[in-house]
Amino acid sequence: MEKEVLLEVRDLDVTYGERKKKYKAVKKVNFKIYKGETFGLVGESGSGKTTIGRAIMRIVPSAGGEILYKGEKINGKISPELDRMVLKEIQMIFQDPQASLNERAKVDYIISEGLMNIEKGISEQERRRRVEQAILDVGLLPEFSSRFPHEFSGGQRQRIGIARALIMNPEFIIADEPISALDVSVRAQVLNLLSDMQKKRQITYLFIAHDLSVMRFITDRIGVIHKGRIVEMGESEEVITHAIHPYTRALLSAIPMPDPRHEKEKKLLVYEPDMHDYEKEPPKWRELRPEHFVLANEREAKEWV
Amino acid sequence: MPDKMLTVENLEIKFKLRGKTLNAIRGVSLDLYKGEILAIVGESGSGKSVFTKSFMGLLDQNGKVTAGRITYYGADDGNPIDLTALRKEKEWYKIRGHEIAMIMQDPMTSLNPLKTIGVQIMEAVLLHQKMTRAEARKKTLQYLEDVGIHHPERRFDQYPHEFSGGMRQRVVIAIAIACAPQILICDEPTTALDVTIQAQILALLKELLRKYKLSIILITHDLGVVANIADRVAVMYAGDIVELGTGEDIFYDPRHPYTQALLSSLPQVGVKGTDLFSIPGTPPNLFTEIQGDAFAPRNPRALKIDYLEMPPYFQVSPTHKAKTWLLDPRAPKLETPAVVEKIRNGGLV
Repeated sequence: MEKEVLLEVRDLDVTYGERKKKYKAVKKVNFKIYKGETFGLVGESGSGKTTIGRAIMRIVPSAGGEILYKGEKINGKISPELDRMVLKEIQMIFQDPQASLNERAKVDYIISEGLMNIEKGISEQERRRRVEQAILDVGLLPEFSSRFPHEFSGGQRQRIGIARALIMNPEFIIADEPISALDVSVRAQVLNLLSDMQKKRQITYLFIAHDLSVMRFITDRIGVIHKGRIVEMGESEEVITHAIHPYTRALLSAIPMPDPRHEKEKKLLVYEPDMHDYEKEPPKWRELRPEHFVLANEREAKEWV
Repeated sequence: MPDKMLTVENLEIKFKLRGKTLNAIRGVSLDLYKGEILAIVGESGSGKSVFTKSFMGLLDQNGKVTAGRITYYGADDGNPIDLTALRKEKEWYKIRGHEIAMIMQDPMTSLNPLKTIGVQIMEAVLLHQKMTRAEARKKTLQYLEDVGIHHPERRFDQYPHEFSGGMRQRVVIAIAIACAPQILICDEPTTALDVTIQAQILALLKELLRKYKLSIILITHDLGVVANIADRVAVMYAGDIVELGTGEDIFYDPRHPYTQALLSSLPQVGVKGTDLFSIPGTPPNLFTEIQGDAFAPRNPRALKIDYLEMPPYFQVSPTHKAKTWLLDPRAPKLETPAVVEKIRNGGLV
């Protein structure tokens, strides 16, 4: 059965700065996200993973390439109707729940701000009903709506951020490191909430994180990104158990495991970008195992497998 | 048995907040031995930071040690010092930095953006070690090299913004080392960093421990980080240490329900497609007096006595003890959680 593509990114380039100070944050990135799945982008700070998420949200302009949502191009100039649809259907959850909520607004306003902007004629009664529903959906109490963000713990604030995304009935949610700033015990709650929402509403996720152990748990497919380029992509379990690219292997070796004996014996792998001889032979996408793609040149493809 | 560096006996710390009293630390005893890495693990609000801040006299104005003793054994003249008896800032100056140094979580905020990193490290060298400026500069370059910063000559004159997060944390560590401390307290040193950088920083701490003969206290909320580095682990909950043991004790044979719950909620042990274990409820309100086992309300298998009486420490082995009634000979025998079996059998990778 052919899976339905919800979002496709083709040859995406994003650059920051101008003229001499130009910096390419994202270089010719390609991937597809299928309806109902969780696709993960994993990489270190500065790899460009957040920038890709922001480019899809259209917070940063793309310098080249296309972003297709349900087959329609959504980057660059688009019609007002499409703009409204995308604003409603694509939502984002941010990393830091301390910074992403308006400190001066009550929870009620924070959650419904987007709703009021998109569904202009919404009645007060309907708005309240939707806010209450969203608050209940994320496991908070309705009376919280009249409180301010500083009255909540990190985990609760992250739930408010999730409620704000859910109230729009989105089809696609970009979750940018939604659990990095949280305590381990609260992380589990937020991860479970996200996957619960996916089961109930068939939401598609782009999940951005630097930690492969979280990725393994929550995503169906992942792309490993380094310095603005995706270097390895495939089903999460496949990529993690049969990692090929040295960068992915380095990331894997760094995951802290709760097993002292294993940790004492483990060797940290360090990825040195100088190891490639791309001057002589530039790399391209190769399917080195079934449905498992790696950025490599001819020589590396032979060596790595 | 190695020498003790620090002993804490029945420590209680209380905060006055809007007319109410918060019991942040509720009678904690703990020893730190020379040359070991002791990890203190707990959620936000469990008191792990407050606990270690009291070793350096860094409690907020409204916080006070109300009972107990903290004795420091590492002084140059060999005489033990009772840290809870120190009152004046001047007395603390002798402890802070030169005896006990601290590394904070966020390397972005703990450096002065207006001074070059070389000057910031040299400041610590000049303050705590008697030497001329020329010698101090040489020593600073040595420290930079030791914490893994290449081309120290060039890096000396750079400002914090010219460094990445991981490199800044290395600079912060260099400043702490430059005070020539006996004890290094690391408060969530890797939480703000990438996993790859985290692994490097942990490796660096182990290296420095050997080279400078330090004793390290590592504070973290992530049990996963601890397996790599800690010789002993103290699990803190609601201002009390509920379990203490070697790394192997805690990971292969956790006895307190809270320790077991913390281990089970790690994504590393999760199985895709199923819910990750999460601890129900929230930590207790420390403004009120806690009855019995503080974790009982969140423990679905709590016993009746857990709500009534605080459990004492039960010794599991000479290195391992836990504060839970489950270890009482009269308690029902519960089977080991599946996660623990999995970790014990090396079934994680």
